[in-house]
Amino acid sequence: MIDTHPSLYIAPTLGDALSALGERGAEGAAFAGGTWIMRAPIRHQPLGRAYVALGKIEELQRVDVTPAHVEIGACATHATIAAALAPCSDLAVLAEAAGRSANPAVRSAATIGGNLMAADFAAADLVPALLCLEASVEIVARDGVERMTISDFLLKRQYLACDRLLSRIRIERADRRSAHTRLPLRKAGDYPVAIVSLSARIEAGRLMEPRIAVGSVEPVARRWTPLEAALEGAPIDIAAARHAAEAYAAYFQGREGIEAPGWYRISVLPALIGRALQSLSS
Amino acid sequence: MTLRLTINGRESLAPDDPMTPLVDLLRERFHLTGAKPVCREGFCGACLVMIDGEPTLSCLTPGGLAEGRDIRTIEGLSPAGRLNPVQNALEAHDAVQCGMCFPGMVMTLTHALRRNAAPSREELRHALTGNTCRCTGYERILDAALSAAGALQGGEP
Amino acid sequence: MSEISTVDPSAAVMDLKRRDARDKLTGRTRYTMDRAGAGMLHAAVLRSPLAAGRIRRLDTSRAAALTGVHAIVTADDAPGLVGIGIADHPLFARDVVRYIGEPLAAVAAERPEDAAAALAAIEIEIEPLPAVITMADALAEGAQLVHPGWQDYEVLFEGGRREGNVAWEATAIRGDVDAAFARPDAVIVENTFRVGRQNHLAFEPRAVVAHYEDGRFHIETSTQVPWTVRNATARVLGVPASEVRVTVPPVGGGFGLKFDMAIEPFAALLARASGRTVRLVNSREEEMLTCLCRENAEIRIRSAVTRAGEILGREAVVLMDCGAYGGEQIFLTTMTAHTLGGNYRVGASRLVSRAIYTHTAPNGAFRACNGVYNTFALERHTDEIAQAIGMDPLAFRYRNVLGDGDLGATGQRYEGEVLRPMLERMDTLRGIPTAATRMADGRLYGRATTVGTWFVFTGPSAATVNMNADGSATLVTSGVEIGSGSMMTGLPQIVAATLGIRPEDVVVRQADTDAAGFDVGVGGGRTTVSLGAASLAAAGEVRGKLLRVAADMLDADPEHLTIREGRIEVAGSNGPGLSIAEVASRAQTLLGPIAGTGGFTSKGTPAMSGCAAGHFIDALDIPVFAVHDCEVAVDPDTGHVEMLAYRVVQDVGRALNPRAILGQIQGGVVQGMGYALQEEVTIGSEGNILQTGFETYRVPLAPDVVPVEVSLYEGAPSLGPLGIKGAGEVPILNVGASVACAVANAIGRPVHELPLTPPHVAALMLGRRSAPVLPHIAGRWTDNLVKKA
Ligand code: FES
Ligand code: FES
Repeated sequence: MIDTHPSLYIAPTLGDALSALGERGAEGAAFAGGTWIMRAPIRHQPLGRAYVALGKIEELQRVDVTPAHVEIGACATHATIAAALAPCSDLAVLAEAAGRSANPAVRSAATIGGNLMAADFAAADLVPALLCLEASVEIVARDGVERMTISDFLLKRQYLACDRLLSRIRIERADRRSAHTRLPLRKAGDYPVAIVSLSARIEAGRLMEPRIAVGSVEPVARRWTPLEAALEGAPIDIAAARHAAEAYAAYFQGREGIEAPGWYRISVLPALIGRALQSLSS
Repeated sequence: MTLRLTINGRESLAPDDPMTPLVDLLRERFHLTGAKPVCREGFCGACLVMIDGEPTLSCLTPGGLAEGRDIRTIEGLSPAGRLNPVQNALEAHDAVQCGMCFPGMVMTLTHALRRNAAPSREELRHALTGNTCRCTGYERILDAALSAAGALQGGEP
Repeated sequence: MSEISTVDPSAAVMDLKRRDARDKLTGRTRYTMDRAGAGMLHAAVLRSPLAAGRIRRLDTSRAAALTGVHAIVTADDAPGLVGIGIADHPLFARDVVRYIGEPLAAVAAERPEDAAAALAAIEIEIEPLPAVITMADALAEGAQLVHPGWQDYEVLFEGGRREGNVAWEATAIRGDVDAAFARPDAVIVENTFRVGRQNHLAFEPRAVVAHYEDGRFHIETSTQVPWTVRNATARVLGVPASEVRVTVPPVGGGFGLKFDMAIEPFAALLARASGRTVRLVNSREEEMLTCLCRENAEIRIRSAVTRAGEILGREAVVLMDCGAYGGEQIFLTTMTAHTLGGNYRVGASRLVSRAIYTHTAPNGAFRACNGVYNTFALERHTDEIAQAIGMDPLAFRYRNVLGDGDLGATGQRYEGEVLRPMLERMDTLRGIPTAATRMADGRLYGRATTVGTWFVFTGPSAATVNMNADGSATLVTSGVEIGSGSMMTGLPQIVAATLGIRPEDVVVRQADTDAAGFDVGVGGGRTTVSLGAASLAAAGEVRGKLLRVAADMLDADPEHLTIREGRIEVAGSNGPGLSIAEVASRAQTLLGPIAGTGGFTSKGTPAMSGCAAGHFIDALDIPVFAVHDCEVAVDPDTGHVEMLAYRVVQDVGRALNPRAILGQIQGGVVQGMGYALQEEVTIGSEGNILQTGFETYRVPLAPDVVPVEVSLYEGAPSLGPLGIKGAGEVPILNVGASVACAVANAIGRPVHELPLTPPHVAALMLGRRSAPVLPHIAGRWTDNLVKKA
């Protein structure tokens, strides 16, 4: 029996965190809000051997909003993000995603970095929101900084070397509007069975460059490109958009789960598109 | 090495096992059994304690991260056996049944009413999204909280 | 006893504040899971990973040698079998395992992590056997038997038919059903229904702290049934029941989950083996996997009605999954006759309910057991009948609900006109229903009114009241406070009204089998009725003694004395009087301390002879009726059902503490709403329950609920003390029914299964789902019965 408890090092700076992670190697892992890691026992996963807590690193908690862009530290909590972005109508999708996920106590603990790093968590609200905003992420290591698009990151996140850290999420702002529609089974308080995140420019009542991301329907959220193409330049017409969504629903393979079957996740997408469009135009 | 925790205003020492959930330290080490580990996954809210004035899930908070912060449990929420306005209202409205969820309910409602002196019933409903109750059906808890609204401004702890 | 009859019931009626609320609000209440003792050990249970298999090897030697491990116990330490009706249940799996989660061994160790390590070090080899997971599997030709030795079990209650995987069968047959169905004017309506399990999700898991002192076990446990725990623990351990003492701290939620022995014997054995205090608390996952859920059930019901709306005949088959062991379901087969066979006047009927063994976790009791789904089936069936004959469903109910002198399914004669006036009360409460079918926001609107029949589970209770010289009284019973408040308000109110003192002056002794007499337990709405009747009798005896002593002291006739507000006085204005404390202390000096005892048991209301077979209760001593009305909105895109309004008219006999009853109704309706709409237990193909915690098992949250509008219907006949009936259990009874009928009305399609989760409702609207096909229920009713050998 191994009788040493896992260790927890509270890193005062990003540099310290990186060194600590480097020293601990494969045994180490970053610890942000804890809402995923602390549930390891109920997933029947052992806790790691050594954690490096990021919660005291000021720069990772910050949300910087400028007229041109937004930068969100990886340890900003859902609650912080929702509050910081509340005034930004172009980023409504992210504010909604952060402000409605799970429940208030979880939102004030769970971080955006944790949400992005939990590769097994299909129902993450922030992921489709960031996809439709074409966010980019910054990965830091002791020897430098790497930037990549959020879609690239989703492909690579499981293989991130143990001494590298997701540090920041950056979103370029534009004259766009956005909306986040999620479908929990109760009114609130549970993970959504399907999510539609939408961002578009609206010109003379038409949708320009719509970006649509779908979450929770498949194991990993992704963009609904055929529907984006179909709606490009189309007038805002909810019924027509729902029809188009129905036509392209086969683009997804719904994931089976005990809370909802795969077909259901897909069957609600047209309605969610309709709702997203509704709140976009209101 | 030991963990130094400030619980209900008192400095308390626990063995250095920093990843142990705070709820277990509170209960097993300090015999503060008010916070209940009912689900251990952030959904029931029965384990909520205040940390630096914010309702915090003690089931998902490692003890090590609570060091140096002000931890307040239901036992220490109001001074010596007194009830705060939320607790008073819950008692007066006969809201309590088995009682297991109430330590967490009190935390959430106290915090919500401190932030907003005049919440609507709908706002309170949503504030309680992370506080499950299996017995009461919630409405009396909402009645009580609404009747206590306004009484928590003016700086009570 | 004239002392009792002179008690003024209105003196007991009040909205009394709960004495336990303050500690619960400040976190001071110590539930069983919060208790700890010096040198206490932590226990854990090794559970079967397979649904069916033969135990080839179970070796604890390596685990026993680990540091920190103090004791390990296995089947060898617990020889007895327990059960209800049939003794089929060992404490630990012996030779074979029958469900995932079945206990194999238990350990006690210094720290929880030591106990976990010990479990991991126990070596087991189980050879898998074919498993029957569903009732269809269990009833299939040549199915694997869950209990190949079923014939060898001790029968504890005679009368049920059994065979192979049919653990118990109860029938209720009255009148000539074949003739009714053969009538030329009969319209035949037939439906099938299916419901899943419901987990109680009591916040306090099952928990126990056990001690072994002076050759006796002392078990502190979170239970509703201290005497059952005492007797059943003794039976499985093979020790005399007098060697077991059970005490019960405040219980953090029961709802029927804790109506049976649970994990107590593990801790008891470990305490004896280790000589230390042992605590065992189930994890939430264990609670989910081994919860004694409300059982899943499958129902076929068929009725013959005339076009004018007369119900000529009815037959039904109800299959109840008892899981691997019979348990409560054996008893609950009884209830079908009174629930599915309740509500309506029926010409002739035959009903069979069968408890079926499967290789799944055993089921148990849950608030309005059996009634909840039988009422769902009956009320949806009733709506389909009304539709088939073109009658308004409410008019059909007015025409057919049970009234004064009508016969129930076992031939019981119902007294009093209750349901019809309750329907009228509901009409007033609801007003004229709207004819809308679609709401402004595009959602589909539906509404329904349903009726329900339930009962008070009477049975034996004992109480002692000690009158103290300071004017207070101590009430000693084996009743447990599970959260409903009955023990904290109802009983003190009854005793106080009898003794003319304040409820606050009645001390309630915590349940202790060493201190109080036998009691069936807290559940079935029986607390204020059975324990109340026993308490009333005990207090009545004390009252009589007090009055006689006072009469001597005042030189008056006892008949001319009044007892109220802490004083005994000669009737009439300005009569001389004494405080009760004065009388009590005088009595103490003169005759010794005053005490009274009381007992109660069921009356045994008669049924028609020959109707019921295999029933534990042939007729209902105290029927309880309910009328519910529900309005819903259904999202046509997603299948989400929102409850818009909910109304209850409940038969309470007499409302002793109206505010407490209203609290029970709100809570019970919301639990029923969870059952109707959200709470789903899925059993995987391996036989494991897939919902393992709060994330996946979704109970209603604050945003989901509505305030229930309630009208308490008083005055229906009741054998209960002061005319009361149990009020805490029945509120959940017709919620599944009302929601299902309202949803069916909203979507314009029939509903045959619960829960109505959004995917389920969407599937109904899309035509992806239709009524369940139940080939394992034979088309001919008689073919469903166990053949007499
Ligand atoms: S125990 Fe922490 S939220 Fe349930
Ligand atoms: S009162 Fe029992 S869980 Fe809320």
